[in-house]
Amino acid sequence: MALLERAEWYDIARSTNWTATYVSDADLFPDVMTGAQGVPAEAWEVYDEPYKTSYPEYVAIQREKDAGAYSVKAALQRSRIFEDADPGWRSILKSHYGAIALGEYAAMSAEARMTRFGRAPGMRNMATFGMMDENRHAQLQLFFPHEYCPKDRQFDWGHKAYHTNEWAAIAARHAFDDLFMARSATEIAVMLTFAFETGFTNMQFLGLAADAAEAGDYTFASLISSIQTDESRHAQIGGPALQVLIANGRKAEAQKLVDIAIARAWRIFCILTGPSMDYNTPREHRKQSFKEFMLEWIAGQFERALIDLGLDLPWYWEKMIAEFDYQHHAYQMGLWFWRPTLWWNPAAGVTPECREWLEEKYPGWNATFGKAWDVIIDNLVQGKVERTLPETLPIVCNMSQIPICAIPGYGWNVKDWPLEYEGRVYHFNSEIDRWVFEQEPERYRGHMTLVDRFLAGHILPPDLGGALAYMSLQPGEMGDDAHGYAWVDAYRELRRAAE
Amino acid sequence: MSNQDAANAYRNNRVGPILRAGPLTAGVIEAAEEDNPGKTIRVDDKVAYVRIDTDGELILRRETLERTLGRPFKMSEFEVNLGSFAGRIETSDDHIRFYYEKTL
Repeated sequence: MALLERAEWYDIARSTNWTATYVSDADLFPDVMTGAQGVPAEAWEVYDEPYKTSYPEYVAIQREKDAGAYSVKAALQRSRIFEDADPGWRSILKSHYGAIALGEYAAMSAEARMTRFGRAPGMRNMATFGMMDENRHAQLQLFFPHEYCPKDRQFDWGHKAYHTNEWAAIAARHAFDDLFMARSATEIAVMLTFAFETGFTNMQFLGLAADAAEAGDYTFASLISSIQTDESRHAQIGGPALQVLIANGRKAEAQKLVDIAIARAWRIFCILTGPSMDYNTPREHRKQSFKEFMLEWIAGQFERALIDLGLDLPWYWEKMIAEFDYQHHAYQMGLWFWRPTLWWNPAAGVTPECREWLEEKYPGWNATFGKAWDVIIDNLVQGKVERTLPETLPIVCNMSQIPICAIPGYGWNVKDWPLEYEGRVYHFNSEIDRWVFEQEPERYRGHMTLVDRFLAGHILPPDLGGALAYMSLQPGEMGDDAHGYAWVDAYRELRRAAE
Repeated sequence: MSNQDAANAYRNNRVGPILRAGPLTAGVIEAAEEDNPGKTIRVDDKVAYVRIDTDGELILRRETLERTLGRPFKMSEFEVNLGSFAGRIETSDDHIRFYYEKTL
């Protein structure tokens, strides 16, 4: 029997709007859940998803994708890639799985909300596949690190991280709850699928795959790039939703959602992908700098797509571009200095050769970040490791939940952006973070950063040890320098030679 | 690159697929040349992914892909390797098209 081509039956098969008779339309699709912003159902009828698939195609294609990812894993399982990998690379895997795997479940819930409450049939149809995609991503990214658990217990955090109050886990949950879990169907279409997925996930799932392939970790390169092929499809849920909003006089509202989502996604990927690319990936395996990847994927591709849909650049565009040069370097210093509070071992990534590379990619690095690292290096050369370890906690941003930091040394621009709201003073890393809070203060006001909890007496004893216990970091799990400080030898040699 | 250049990086009209490492890449490049006559097809190979693009519009036809890949091909199979793409997308049973509506 000949099958019809998809185009011949697709439109009629997914026309699933009907006139409700037992309940009112408002009860069936409450605005608070649809987020349709008063745009009536008829206006959503024009929604046309550009990247279509059907259930039979979906099953066949996903089977092929999984067969590919699992067969690469099986083929390389007996190789010594993991054992022989640079410890900095293994840290990338640990930070990735812990920060991402359970976030995929959050994304699955978000897709499910669009499946039920999407105002357009096409949105509900594509989100059904998106929901299954995100389940696949969570399962894959829990299964792949699981085999490493017996070799290194930090990999247990692939599953454990989201169940703890470790600070980076709090930061990830705060952002993903805001963008995925606690939003309406339309907001999810705009913030998760459009802003987060057509934009930023490319950095961690394709940009980093390029570094993974260079580092010889084909299992990881194949896995994350396979995941991104699902994202590439279901991320297209957002574009037509934006077009409906814009066509119905809701451009300003749509623009605000996009601007909030980009601001929040940028912080997460800045601290996750930035140090992975520019510090933890061994220098010889770096395909491009983090900034170059940002220009390729975010400025050159994502922002261009946003303009094509009729939106404008975010109001903070030039401020964010300026941050490409420094914010992730500041995060890296914080990650390395507060290393006992991580579930991975951060690489310092500041050997003399690395610093040459950093100076070339980020002119001025040595006069700013380099100066602060010089102090750390002096202490390590003199064997005073304790001076390079934290005794207290930093000031944390009330939006990103990440320490407030910027450029040290000659370029000093570290600044708190405070806001007093209902008698409480909130602290922000930048004007951008503060602006996000100001858009809906009642949404964010009750949340306490790790430091707020510390000051409120939730963390006992009130010292670093108490904080580590609060974060569920056991001895053997807490981070330390990825290379066991072996990189300091080069500086010892240099100083000996200078003497 | 100055910050002003970086801020203007969105001013381009490049569209096309970004394929993850896989068996389609060479055939897709060949089909892109054939299906988009007179256009310069750029290829940026990052090993884990290959960016294939041209200005304004890039179309790939199933017929052409079957010839360049040397086997029967369903357009839906494209998804297995389509890690991302620049531009907007239009999918059908006999072609896939990447394009921008506005020219910057």
